[in-house]
Amino acid sequence: MSQDSYRPSFNLSRVDASVAQPVRLFFASAFLWLVLASMIAVITAIQLKDVSFLGGCSLTTYGRLKALESNLFTYGWLTNALFAINLWLMSSLTRFELKNAWLANVGGVVWNLTLTYGAYQILMGKMNGFSLLEMPKEVALASWLGFLLAALWPAVAFSRRPTGHVYVSQWYILGSTLVFPITFALTQLLVLWCPAQGVLQALVHSWYYQNLHLLWFASSAIAAVYYFIPKESGRTVAAYYLSTIGFWTFFLFASWTGPATLLGSPLPLWVQSVGVVAALLMLIPFAILAIHFLGTLSWNRGISQSWNNTTLRFVLVAIFALILWGLLFAVSSTRGFNAVIRFTAFTVGLEHLLSYTFVSFVIFGAAYFILPKITGLLWLSPKLVHLHFWSCAIATVSLLIITLGGGWQQGSGLRADWPSALFPTFLLLIGHIAFVINAWGMLCSKLSSGYKPTHA
Amino acid sequence: MKNIKFIFAGVVFTLAASFLGILLSGRVQLGSLGRAPAEEGGLLFPPREPGLAIQGREVYLSLGCVACHTQQVRPASQGNDIAKGYGPRHSVARDYILQSSVLLGTHRIGPDLANYGARAASENEIHQHLLVPKAGSAMPSYAFLYTRGKDGTLVPTEKAIALVAYLKSLKIDYSSPEAKLNQ
Ligand code: HEC
Repeated sequence: MSQDSYRPSFNLSRVDASVAQPVRLFFASAFLWLVLASMIAVITAIQLKDVSFLGGCSLTTYGRLKALESNLFTYGWLTNALFAINLWLMSSLTRFELKNAWLANVGGVVWNLTLTYGAYQILMGKMNGFSLLEMPKEVALASWLGFLLAALWPAVAFSRRPTGHVYVSQWYILGSTLVFPITFALTQLLVLWCPAQGVLQALVHSWYYQNLHLLWFASSAIAAVYYFIPKESGRTVAAYYLSTIGFWTFFLFASWTGPATLLGSPLPLWVQSVGVVAALLMLIPFAILAIHFLGTLSWNRGISQSWNNTTLRFVLVAIFALILWGLLFAVSSTRGFNAVIRFTAFTVGLEHLLSYTFVSFVIFGAAYFILPKITGLLWLSPKLVHLHFWSCAIATVSLLIITLGGGWQQGSGLRADWPSALFPTFLLLIGHIAFVINAWGMLCSKLSSGYKPTHA
Repeated sequence: MKNIKFIFAGVVFTLAASFLGILLSGRVQLGSLGRAPAEEGGLLFPPREPGLAIQGREVYLSLGCVACHTQQVRPASQGNDIAKGYGPRHSVARDYILQSSVLLGTHRIGPDLANYGARAASENEIHQHLLVPKAGSAMPSYAFLYTRGKDGTLVPTEKAIALVAYLKSLKIDYSSPEAKLNQ
């Protein structure tokens, strides 16, 4: 993290220049949504402590703000950022120069406009009851098209690539790019457009939820980890021959894990058991990922080497989060354990572990690497980078302790109230503002002068 | 694995497998579930929902009550819901077949409401609870669902009336073929 604070600019490579515009658009919107979502998170955390806070009108009532927060976080922050990372990664691995950047831009604009409209409708109270499907069904088609236009390009780059070599990262990107549109379309159809009967809706929703988190978010983030570890540490991935098994078992089992989140629900027992088995089988790909990631970094002082590299420092935290999640998810899918933690803050902690401590930390690490490549500038302030890392790292660890520990206490009857995560939520906001100031500094300073700096 | 068609085909296969394996077979088993009497010749359950309750569900949805409340009672073997008094029996799939949108919920910041209608005292009391929830609890006040009448008393809006009708309709105090009440 010892970058000089003066900012020389350098030429972009041809490949980077060809994707710079959409990647900047995706990142810029992701950062905006991140800050908004974190602000709303602070408000809802206050509301849990002080119910009268902004409680006087329907617009800012807890139920709506909570739905808004999670939608902006997942579809605004995570999804936009992964559009950017997948596109940049794939084109730089294939050396593919994107000709139709404007189409990707259109996709990004459509995606973000539909999200804005959906967010407005949620605030107005026009929403559905399933988490992350709250946005009204009429935005579905536009979202879907926007997603295809924005996220399709890695597949195009791969099939038209000038170089022949194939990397593991590319499999995961291709897989995740395909999974989201299929899952989203089927789910919209079966939950909102022609709703399945009764509790089947919940079953479809669990399928969507797990596919979204494991096969779109986590899978894209895994792709990035597979790229950054060898790239930034100069090591080759340990036990590389396991990667095919790892990839296929991950995709095969992940989409069966939905019912494991519905234990004790009115669904047939065999469906629930299938989910439990899948959650346990997920330990296979997780073991392989652990061997690949930790195995590569753990020998010969690799961990301390990573610690001194901004990108790898974030990625390192993320790797531990991923492995911990795999273990906790398997454990919490066993019936006895699940009976205790179901419906408590523990489940909030698990979700945070995956979508924040793993996926978001990978995104941060990747952004520190990619933004200089596509702007030709260095990061404005190393101090802000430190502030960002430390406040988010401390916040995420304390949030996990509060929710996982507090949730366990709730379930075993040791406490009645819902554990408050106000302090870490506030700290996250600070970290995100530090990050976004730094990032927007880079994104904005070139807006007026085009994409190819002339002085090297 | 250099061929995009191979990767795509494989990924589609994995998705199709889980879709057929859990969603479609779940549908085969549950899709044709109808109302049924607990004993031959008895009343059909679940009961039809009153129109006002159906409107009330929309209010419940639009205020995001589902963020804090679940509507499912787990069997005694899978949690202590029944011991806590959330319901006299566990919820079964048949209980939900008439509901246009199912609000099982995922978090319990407040108590489960699957059987709330059976334990709620009077409509007045429910209105009172929505206006002034228990002190110190995380349940927000929904005072904006009430207006002040000419004589200064609080009058429930149409939304509040529908919401309370909905809350009153939430009941699993009847026997169903899958889960009998043990009396
Ligand atoms: C921030 C979380 C939260 C939200 C949002 C919320 N509640 Fe609650 N609710 C609680 C808590 C906590 C309790 C328990 C304390 C109490 O009874 O006041 C509760 C209690 C209740 C009870 C009494 C249950 C019983 O067994 O006595 C009812 C009825 C209820 N809520 C209905 C609603 C409705 C209707 C909405 C939406 C308009 C709603 N709640 C929104 C947290 C919430």
